[in-house]
Amino acid sequence: MKRTFHPLTWWCGAIAIAIAVSVAHNTAFNLAVVGGMCFIVYQINRNAIDQSPWSRGLWFALKIAAIIIVIRTLIGIAIGVPIPGNTLFELPIVDLPEWMAGIRIGGAITQERLTFAFAEGVQIATLICIFAAATSLTSPHRLLRQMPVFIYEFGVALVIATSVLPQLVTSATRIKSAQRMRGIQRRGWAGVALPLLEESLARSLDLAAAMDSRGYGYCRNRSRYRREKILLHDLSVVLSAIALIPFSWVVFA
Amino acid sequence: MGCVCMITFNNVSLIYPHSLQTVFEDLSFTIEEGEMVLVIGATGSGKSSLLRLINGLVPHHTGGILAGDITVDGISTSLTKPGGLAHLIGIVGQNPAHGFVTDTVEEELVFGMEALNFAPDVMRKRVEEILDLLSLAQLRSRSIATLSGGEQQRVAIGSALVMHPKVLVLDEPTSALDPIAAEEVLSILHRLVHDLGLTVVISEHKLERVIGFADRIIAISAEGKAEIDIPEEILKKSPIAPPIVHLARALNLDSVGTSVREVRRMTTHLRDFTPLVAQSESATGESVVEIEKISHIYGEKLALREVSLNFKSGEITAVMGRNGAGKSTLFKSIVGFHKATGGKIRILGQDPTELKGRQRLSTIGFIPQEPSDLLIHSSVSKECAASDHDNALEEGSTFAFLTRMTPTVNPEAHPRDLSEGQRLSLVLALILCSAPDVLVMDEPTRGLDYQAKSLLVDTLVSYSRNLGKCVLIATHDVELVAEVADRVVFLADGDVVADGPTLDVLLSSPAFAPQVAKVMSPAPWLTVTDALRGIAEATGKDLPS
Repeated sequence: MKRTFHPLTWWCGAIAIAIAVSVAHNTAFNLAVVGGMCFIVYQINRNAIDQSPWSRGLWFALKIAAIIIVIRTLIGIAIGVPIPGNTLFELPIVDLPEWMAGIRIGGAITQERLTFAFAEGVQIATLICIFAAATSLTSPHRLLRQMPVFIYEFGVALVIATSVLPQLVTSATRIKSAQRMRGIQRRGWAGVALPLLEESLARSLDLAAAMDSRGYGYCRNRSRYRREKILLHDLSVVLSAIALIPFSWVVFA
Repeated sequence: MGCVCMITFNNVSLIYPHSLQTVFEDLSFTIEEGEMVLVIGATGSGKSSLLRLINGLVPHHTGGILAGDITVDGISTSLTKPGGLAHLIGIVGQNPAHGFVTDTVEEELVFGMEALNFAPDVMRKRVEEILDLLSLAQLRSRSIATLSGGEQQRVAIGSALVMHPKVLVLDEPTSALDPIAAEEVLSILHRLVHDLGLTVVISEHKLERVIGFADRIIAISAEGKAEIDIPEEILKKSPIAPPIVHLARALNLDSVGTSVREVRRMTTHLRDFTPLVAQSESATGESVVEIEKISHIYGEKLALREVSLNFKSGEITAVMGRNGAGKSTLFKSIVGFHKATGGKIRILGQDPTELKGRQRLSTIGFIPQEPSDLLIHSSVSKECAASDHDNALEEGSTFAFLTRMTPTVNPEAHPRDLSEGQRLSLVLALILCSAPDVLVMDEPTRGLDYQAKSLLVDTLVSYSRNLGKCVLIATHDVELVAEVADRVVFLADGDVVADGPTLDVLLSSPAFAPQVAKVMSPAPWLTVTDALRGIAEATGKDLPS
């Protein structure tokens, strides 16, 4: 059976989990949450008939998360408040002008300082992954359609604006590879910009014409085809996510 | 008069802003309810403008000055904006993918109804109705981006029909489709005209596909004049005509037919002898492209399955097959755009993914589906100069090559302002001036009229025969294949299902047989020239031409 979730389910769940993660502030718990999210996304999207461009959001976010952890740790090593403890190695201290008192670059790198920086990095990365997972499970476009009527028009406009983005990326790759085939290598992005600009202009004109001739914006009011119902499995997802908050409070705080 | 006039053009003239030339001059005609009207004309003659005049996109959306009056079902388009005609006129643009607003099929179908504030229960009923009518029920929750070209076209038609319009306007609805998907879309239109009394206005370059369905034809001439009449009358003298009409003219038949059946009946006397069975000769050139068991996988989808092929010099090979059969993947692997997941490809002994710079230019020429992707300079002369530089050619040789194909091209024009045909010649000149050993073209005839197509045929044939180069084209255009190809490779679902001389492959499948072959069957002639030569040989006398 194909089960679809209410568009708000995963986003509400994501918010609850994000709160739980912030309460716990524990690296092991964070990693467990990210692992769990990856598992859920994999399980649900594996069975989807087709993959929307959004469904790859989590895998993209995981890459970004890794970069964030590395950067955060490096910054933690280089700059920051000294934390006393087991010294691993020493970096030379850079002399800073007097008015920058309180900031230190370099110095002793302790194991504690390293763990702290790493944990901070993981914390940020986890939050990003949680919301990326929600994006992978529910396209933001479906979410925007749930907006109340008075901002619905705005939502539709936003949906249209954002649908062009993935297309832009596709066109850019296509043009770049076509030009590589012509042997144009050195010209880089300047050569892509002109055809890309032309194409996106033509596309948006086409889109505007299509919307215009389909009556978009002609009527004052807009009806809505389908209201999605909140079902039992939606509730259970949200409730179990909320249950994580007291759990993490009790266990980690 | 008693006629139910659905669309009336009354002394219509049109001029676009910043243009000195009128697109139309004093156009007057009427289209009746329940008619299927085909608009023909060379590229750039204003077919799209005519279609977009019907719902007021021209001039409301594009600007320009419109003189005269156009009414649709009694409503004047000069006074009503396109949005106000949305319930009356459904319009499907040249590239339906550009007109999609939402992500999934169902949402796309309801978009227009939501905009016009239809009640939810009406919408639900109509969506089901359209899903059944266009057999889209299985696709209802699919994301549009993952549908095939034919399916997308059906969704676009569906989202226009769901508004219950009285007029449906389609701009080249089958140009991107393979013959079978095209047939599917056209028969749906035909059914709508007959069952629902819908008025359909359609433009199409590939006349052979639509001519049988049209009640009347509007022929737009280069001077902005238009003529409307039944197909037989228009086609008697029109320079734009499907092969079947050229055949009738060449054989000096009394009248031209629009369907294979008609022309077959008219030519029984020409088929009552046993034709000589043509010996298809295989190319003897050395092998240029060697493909050994290549497979390619996208994610979990197998696009190519252990394909082994060998292409020789001096041979033009057409790669055919449904949308998504693996043609583009095969070509991308051949030109070295990606490394195939398995197997190996050698072009004159070299790995195409490792070719660089001038060596690449002189080995592989690739023309993508959108030829303009290759154009980056602001004028024709600059493009040509850049190509001279890249290929270390004498100054001006690319431009000389170009003028040999199209003498009239203006060197100062911006490449984007050229007509489709001229732009293709420019790209051909840029690629061919370095005389690559393999020329690879992906869907070259999209949006080309017959004139531009015959230019392409001449260029390709002389490149392959005179210079002994290997040419590969992926195309849906059966008539082009009949004219140009020596060999056809047919792909289905990542497998080679047929590979052989054009004659054998095309004649073995009715869906892919060109019109002349259908008329002349069982004689193995694919083109008008073949048929004339064949008849002359068999009867021993030349037909007056």
